[in-house]
Amino acid sequence: MVRRIVRSRVADHPAADDLVQETLLRVLGAMGRVEPGMLEPYAIVTARHVIASMWKDQDRHRRNQHRMADLRLPDAPDADLLLGEDRAAVAQALQHLSDRERDTLLAHELHGQDTRSLADELGSTAGAVAAQLNRTRARLRVEYLLAVERTEPFSDRCRPVLIALSSGDRRRQRDVDAGRHLLECELCARLSQPLLGRGQQHDDEVRIPIRADADVVLARQGVRELAARAGFSPTDLTIIATAVSEISRNIVRFATAGEIVVELLEEPRPGVRIVARDTGPGIPDVEQALTDGFSTYRGLGLGLPGARRLMDEFAVVSEVDRGTTVTMTKWRQEGSP
Amino acid sequence: MTEDHTVTDDESSGFSTLDRQDEHQLLPELVAHLREHRTKLRQEWATRIHDAHLLDAMTPQEMSTETRSVYDNYVEVLETGSVEALQDYARNLSERIIPRGVETHEVVGIVLLLRDVLARSLFEKYQTDFRLLNRVLDAYEPAANRIANTVAVSFVDERERVIRQQQDAIRELSTPVLPVRERLLILPIIGVLDSERARQLTEQLLTGIRTHRAKVVVIDITGAPDVDETVANHLVQTVDASRLMGASVIITGLSPEIAQTLVTIGVDLSKMNTIGDLQGGLEEAERLLGYKVTRQDGPVGE
Amino acid sequence: MNTGPALVSILRQGSYLIASIHTALDDSQLMRLQKDLVDQIGRHRSRGVIIDVAALDVLDSFGSRTLRDIAEMARLRGALTVIVGIQPDVAFAMVSLGMGTGSVHAALDLEEGLEYLDRQVRARQPGSSVVVPR
Ligand SMILES: [Zn+2]
Repeated sequence: MVRRIVRSRVADHPAADDLVQETLLRVLGAMGRVEPGMLEPYAIVTARHVIASMWKDQDRHRRNQHRMADLRLPDAPDADLLLGEDRAAVAQALQHLSDRERDTLLAHELHGQDTRSLADELGSTAGAVAAQLNRTRARLRVEYLLAVERTEPFSDRCRPVLIALSSGDRRRQRDVDAGRHLLECELCARLSQPLLGRGQQHDDEVRIPIRADADVVLARQGVRELAARAGFSPTDLTIIATAVSEISRNIVRFATAGEIVVELLEEPRPGVRIVARDTGPGIPDVEQALTDGFSTYRGLGLGLPGARRLMDEFAVVSEVDRGTTVTMTKWRQEGSP
Repeated sequence: MTEDHTVTDDESSGFSTLDRQDEHQLLPELVAHLREHRTKLRQEWATRIHDAHLLDAMTPQEMSTETRSVYDNYVEVLETGSVEALQDYARNLSERIIPRGVETHEVVGIVLLLRDVLARSLFEKYQTDFRLLNRVLDAYEPAANRIANTVAVSFVDERERVIRQQQDAIRELSTPVLPVRERLLILPIIGVLDSERARQLTEQLLTGIRTHRAKVVVIDITGAPDVDETVANHLVQTVDASRLMGASVIITGLSPEIAQTLVTIGVDLSKMNTIGDLQGGLEEAERLLGYKVTRQDGPVGE
Repeated sequence: MNTGPALVSILRQGSYLIASIHTALDDSQLMRLQKDLVDQIGRHRSRGVIIDVAALDVLDSFGSRTLRDIAEMARLRGALTVIVGIQPDVAFAMVSLGMGTGSVHAALDLEEGLEYLDRQVRARQPGSSVVVPR
C-alpha cells in the first residue's frame, strides 16, 4: 500500500522544495485516507519521496541519483530495504530535536494548530513561534541529511553552517562564515547542495568555483553579466572584470580551491560586491602584499594592489594556513542610468 | 496623477455599461447646446483659468486664441468621438507651450476646468428633469474623461520628448572632444576638474579616438585653474590610455605649478609631449601627422 | 595541436605575422599564444608582428605582461611588434590598474598596425644597425 502511494505521489508531484513542509502538508492532506496506525510510516515514505525529488532536482550527486532511480522503480528488490533506511533516518532526525521543538512542529503541521494558539500555550508570541518553527524545519532537514549519509559532522562548525544554509538566512550564513566552511569541509559542501537548491536561488547573486585557469575567464564573464544588470557602464564592467581577473588568478596560483561570489547591492546605491575566498596558505603580510611590485608569480605584482585601485572598497582578511578572503565593492556612478 | 488613473478606470467601465442609444441621441443635443453657448462658456472657462493662476506664462491674446481652439476641439471630439484630431492638436499645443515652462498640472488643470464648466452648464439646462440629467451626464462624462486623458497623455509624451531632446543637446555640447582636422582631436579642459569629471573626459576622449580614428590628441589645460595630485594622475592615465589606442598626446597650457605637481607625483615630464601654448601644440600635431609623408621621402632618424 | 575552434589564428603576410585573438583567453592559453608566436617568428624570420586583441574582454596584469614579453622576445629575434584593437574600456581599465604602455607600440586597428610596421621596417632596412639573429 505504501508503495502504491509512493508511486502515485511521484507522478503527481515531480518537484518538491521543502522536505518537512511538503511531507507534513501531504500527510495532513491524507490523514482521513490513512489508517491511524499507518500514519507514521506514511509520513516517512512521503518524506523520503520529497527528499528524493529534491536530490533529483539537483541532479548533482551520483550516489544519490541511484537512490532516486530506485524510487522511480519501486518494484526493485531493494526498495523495502531503502524504505527501512529512510524510516530510520527520519526517526533519527526527529530525535535530534528537543521534545518541545518536536511537539510544536507536529502540533502545527500535523494537527493544524495555528501559531497564535501555540503561542498562548507556550507563553510566547505568534511571531516567535513561527520563527521557531522555521528554525526547527531547517534543523530537521539538516539532521535528516546527516542521518541519510550515516555520518556525524566533521567538526562542531558543521551544524551551525548547515542550519544557516537550510534556513536560507543570509545574515546568519555570513555570521558563521558559511562560504568559507563549504570550501574547507567536504561533507558540508556535499550536503549543502540539496539545501541550497531549495527554491531560493538568488538571482542577484552568482557563485563561481575557482580551481583552474579557465575558471578565471568564467569568473570575469559571470561578474560582467551580473553587474551589467545593475546598470554599470561598459567601462566600469571592464574595470570590475579586470579586478576579478586579478584576484581569481591569485586563487589559482596560491590556493588549491576557492570561489568568487558576486552579489548585487541596492543600498545605499546600486553596486556590486565581490567576495573571493580561498583555502590557500594565507598571506603572512597583507600590508606588503598590497604594495606595488610585491609579487611571487610572473605578473607585475599588481594582483592585489591593482584590484584595489580598480574598486571603490577593498578589504583583505587572511589567516596563515587557512586562507584569504578578499571583499571588494564597486558603486555605480551617479550619472549612470 | 492618481486621480487621473481612477478617472481612466471609470471611463472604461462606464463605457461598457453605457446605453449606446443614449450616446447617439443625447450627444448631438449636448454638442448643439455647447456650440450655441460657446462664447459665454468659453469666457467663463477663461475666467476660471485665470482665477486658478493656470497658464500665467501666456499673454491674454494667446489665452484667447488657445482657449477658443481647445474649446472647439473639445466639442468636436464630443461630436465625432474621434480623439485623433485632438491628439494632434494637443501635441502641437504642447510643443508651443512647453518651452514657455507650462507644467503638466496646468494642462490637466485647464482641461478639467473646461470639463467642469461644461458639466455645470448641462446641469443647469437639465436640472428640472433629474432622470434626463442623469442620462445626459452618463453620456457626457465618459467622453469628457477620454478627452482629459488624451490631452494629458499627449502633453506628457511631448514633454518627455522635449526633455530627451534637450538632454541630448546638452550632452552634445558638453562632449569635449573637438575634431580639428582629419585624425586630430583637441580636448580643451575648462573649469574645475574633479575625479569624476576627469574620468568622464577620459572615457569620452578614448571613444572619440576610435570614432574619429585620431592619431594625435592635443589636451589643452590652459582653462583648468588648479590641477591637484588626483587630477594630475588622471591626466597621466589619459595620456597612457590614448597611447594604448594608438594616439599620441600633446599637452598644452601646462603652467609651472602644474608641471611641479606632475613632477611631485613622479611623472617623467620628458616622456610627455608638452608644448607651451595651444598654437604651438597644434603645429606640433600637424608635424606629427605630416610625419609619415616626410618619412616616405627617406628615412628620418628617431 | 589545436583542438576545437581556434582561439587564435596566426597568419603570415609577407614578412609579417598577424595573430588574431578570437575570444577571451585564460592564462595558459595566453602562454600558448606566446610560445606559438615566438616559434613562428623564428621559423619564418618575420620582421614584424601584429597582435589583434580586439576580442579580449580584459587585459589584466598577466595579459599585459604576456604581450610585453612577446614583444621583447620578438625584438630579440629581429621582429617589431605592434598591438592593435585595444578597446576604449579595456585601455581605461589597463591604466586604472596601473599598467603603462611600456615600450610596446599600439595602433588603432590592423590597417594602422600594418602602416606602422611598413614605415618602421622600411626605415630600418637600408643601412640598418639591427642585426637579425638567426
Ligand atoms: Zn562541515
